[in-house]
Amino acid sequence: MSDARNPVGRWITLPILASFAVFGTLPYWVEAVGLYQYLGLEIMVWVIFALGYNLLLGYGGLPSFGHGAFIGIGAYAFGVAQFHFIPNLWICLLAAIIITGLCGLAAALLVSRRRGIYFALMTIAIGQVFFFIASKWTSVTGGEDGLLNIQRLPVDFGLFSIDIQDTASLYYLAFALYAVVVVLLWRLVHSPFGRILGAIRQNEERVRFLGYNVFIYKAIAFILSTMVAGLAGGLFAMAQEGAYIQIMNLQWSGTVVLMTLIGGGLVSFWGPVFGVVLYFIARDILGAYTEAWLLWFGLMFMLLVMFKPEGLAGIWRDTVGGLVRRKPAAAPSPHPNQSPAE
Amino acid sequence: MSTATWLLPHLINGVALGLLFALIALGFMLIIGVMEVINLAHGSIFALGAYVALAIMAPDGGLPFAFMEPFYALPAWPRYAIALVVAPILVGAACMLLELCLRPTYGKDPLYGLLLTFGAALVIEEMIRVVWGSSEYYLPIPRDISGGFIFADLIYSTYRIYAAIFACAMIALLWFFLNRTPYGAVIKAGAHDNEMVRALGFNLSRLRLLVFAFGAGLAAIAGIIMAPIWGVRPVVGIDAVIPAFVIIVLGGVGSFWGAVTAGVLVGLAVALTAAFVPDWSMISMYLLLLAVVTFRPRGIAGRASILER
Amino acid sequence: MALLEAHHIHKRFGDQVVLENITLAFEENRLNGIMGPNGAGKTTCFNVLTGRYKPDRGRIVFDGEDIGGLPPHKIARKGIARSFQLMNLFDQYTAIENITLALPEVRARGMSMMHDLSTDGETGDKAAGILARIGLAGKERVEARDLSYGERRALEIGVALAAAPRILFLDEPTAGLGAEATGSIAELIAEIRRDLTIVIIEHDMQFLFGLADKITVIHWGQVIAEGTPASLQEDEWVKRSSLGGLA
Repeated sequence: MSDARNPVGRWITLPILASFAVFGTLPYWVEAVGLYQYLGLEIMVWVIFALGYNLLLGYGGLPSFGHGAFIGIGAYAFGVAQFHFIPNLWICLLAAIIITGLCGLAAALLVSRRRGIYFALMTIAIGQVFFFIASKWTSVTGGEDGLLNIQRLPVDFGLFSIDIQDTASLYYLAFALYAVVVVLLWRLVHSPFGRILGAIRQNEERVRFLGYNVFIYKAIAFILSTMVAGLAGGLFAMAQEGAYIQIMNLQWSGTVVLMTLIGGGLVSFWGPVFGVVLYFIARDILGAYTEAWLLWFGLMFMLLVMFKPEGLAGIWRDTVGGLVRRKPAAAPSPHPNQSPAE
Repeated sequence: MSTATWLLPHLINGVALGLLFALIALGFMLIIGVMEVINLAHGSIFALGAYVALAIMAPDGGLPFAFMEPFYALPAWPRYAIALVVAPILVGAACMLLELCLRPTYGKDPLYGLLLTFGAALVIEEMIRVVWGSSEYYLPIPRDISGGFIFADLIYSTYRIYAAIFACAMIALLWFFLNRTPYGAVIKAGAHDNEMVRALGFNLSRLRLLVFAFGAGLAAIAGIIMAPIWGVRPVVGIDAVIPAFVIIVLGGVGSFWGAVTAGVLVGLAVALTAAFVPDWSMISMYLLLLAVVTFRPRGIAGRASILER
Repeated sequence: MALLEAHHIHKRFGDQVVLENITLAFEENRLNGIMGPNGAGKTTCFNVLTGRYKPDRGRIVFDGEDIGGLPPHKIARKGIARSFQLMNLFDQYTAIENITLALPEVRARGMSMMHDLSTDGETGDKAAGILARIGLAGKERVEARDLSYGERRALEIGVALAAAPRILFLDEPTAGLGAEATGSIAELIAEIRRDLTIVIIEHDMQFLFGLADKITVIHWGQVIAEGTPASLQEDEWVKRSSLGGLA
């Protein structure tokens, strides 16, 4: 909870500052620890995507299994805006956010009356529909070949502009956007809207009988998370210098669920961040030893769901956090509806 | 030639596809019924069935064992028949392990079962890649059921007709098993109320183990039958599990004939779109799903179910 | 005219008739009891009146306005609050947050994404006041799942109260409680009834006969008797059924 006497505390907290410190200095030490600049960029893009996704999964309890479609749409929208409209960074990013948000709106209207498995099912179907449309609409998306030669547009401030051709510079753009997203999302989940969303996760019916229009809340949460996905998609298009169809398939939609969960998105705001970092580092480190790194990652995921569904954040809370803070009096059995409040 | 006759082979293909989808969906539904688990790994199990059959039939299937040499010398028919029986049993037995992994998730939010089986799908698919690689295989089938024949100026695929008949027979057997044998009665009791299983004097854990294995075996059989049509690839699982979803939602959870009807409907929808706009054949299924879930969430014959929680 | 009137309500599920031609009227500032055996249709009746189910036939009039078939959130906004037979709290939220989210002023700015409730003194004070009223002062920061069963039942009523309703439906508020806790819930209800219209479903006859101004007996989806507790004890129907014996 934020401190009533401290208005800054409502917006910026210690964990947020800590994440700024780590990610803000990343380009300076990433190579020293044996990794590479592009990995940092990938992590940043997916952290943004997963944080937005967790608004749905962790806070709203809405398991979307089609979210890969939206990061893909964001990437295509960014490319299309660049090629056919104005190659200005801000306008193209805005286009990515808005177009993805509009697709999210269409999807939200279909899914917001549902929850649980039906919600998951419908989002799978919607994700697949977007996937097929993108793969067949060759004139816009380039079909199977993808949309090639997307430029890393300069960061234009009117009076001057910064070139972000190299990966470390683009990383800092992504980091700056991450900072904005993380502060806004943190505020959002502690606002009345966020708390009502959390209440919907715990007991949708009760919220309705308190006079809230649950449909609208779920729809807005869905649209917001797709808009964040659109932003991540725009960055991803610049990172890859192209937009490709693979990102939209069911596998990647599942992967973002997996990352968010493995990090502990169900119990912590920071779960998605942990999860994404773990996923990419595992990919690189395990991947160096074995082609089948996903096999081991999948096994780890299964073990986590079986024994520790609260993920990395849950392990952290029970070990490190438990030493500092009072543990709950009667810890109930793990349940996905736990509040990601910390 | 009128449009109707030109469409006939497509319709037959659609029915064959639909019946195979129904077979996958019925196994999927048994698992939902007794374990309340949405088994996202069902598609990977389907693929595994085809690979195991491939391995049994060898030698082109990637895993020739020296002690099996005399078996490989047999003609195609007996090898195929044996693979068709043994592969599903092996797959079913292996999937008992997965059921054991699922146990900590029982009684919790169904989302956990979904997530665990998503992880399992990933693991099975990667295991297939490790053992067989990513390239595509073709399951060798006896010559009698391959190729095509010409009837009234139209070319029909012999295999599709064989597949349709085989799936029909399997569905009929399954119906008989569920409705006319004591084992079927226990499974149906389990799908209705777990307490009832205990009241009938059966061990619920063992029932779950067996039903999961049985559902997995059905997926494996469908995988073997589908293999010559779709080819054998690690990623083929998604193409199988999604139709199963669609069919369950369309037919209504817990309804045997609802699933069969929905299966044929989906098969026809896919085949007809394929006849007119081949590129868009798979999307018809998703549109069907969205339309149904939007307007009639409980499907043709559905009741309230776990899916709504 | 009564505050809430239901005329000739029918409700069926499949081929099973659950409510058959039910007509009810709840006068302002009275405490109305509904009793009847299990499966008589009492909870279904609540569910129809509060918008969870649409009635197949019949009219529901609240303060002169037809509310039949409106969705639950619209009915709630008109000032109709309810508790549930099964616990229906936000388990992972604190007691005070359960109350806060029910306050109409919070509902009015539920779409606010930048505002912070925990720093809002006014709503905080109001919610704390309600907690004190239901006997949960000092438990503000306790998560609902860590409260005792009796405290949770009281919190249920508090949540319904926080919505500042004009009519309050309580579905078996004492279910599962011992004698002592039942007594304190009875005290609580006696305290809040002064300026509120209340409708209670209850199994505990003593509880209901001690509190209610009017009692309606429902059986087989129909109203079979209605009147003051005193007159009802004389009623032939009630006497002949097991209900009379209990009372």
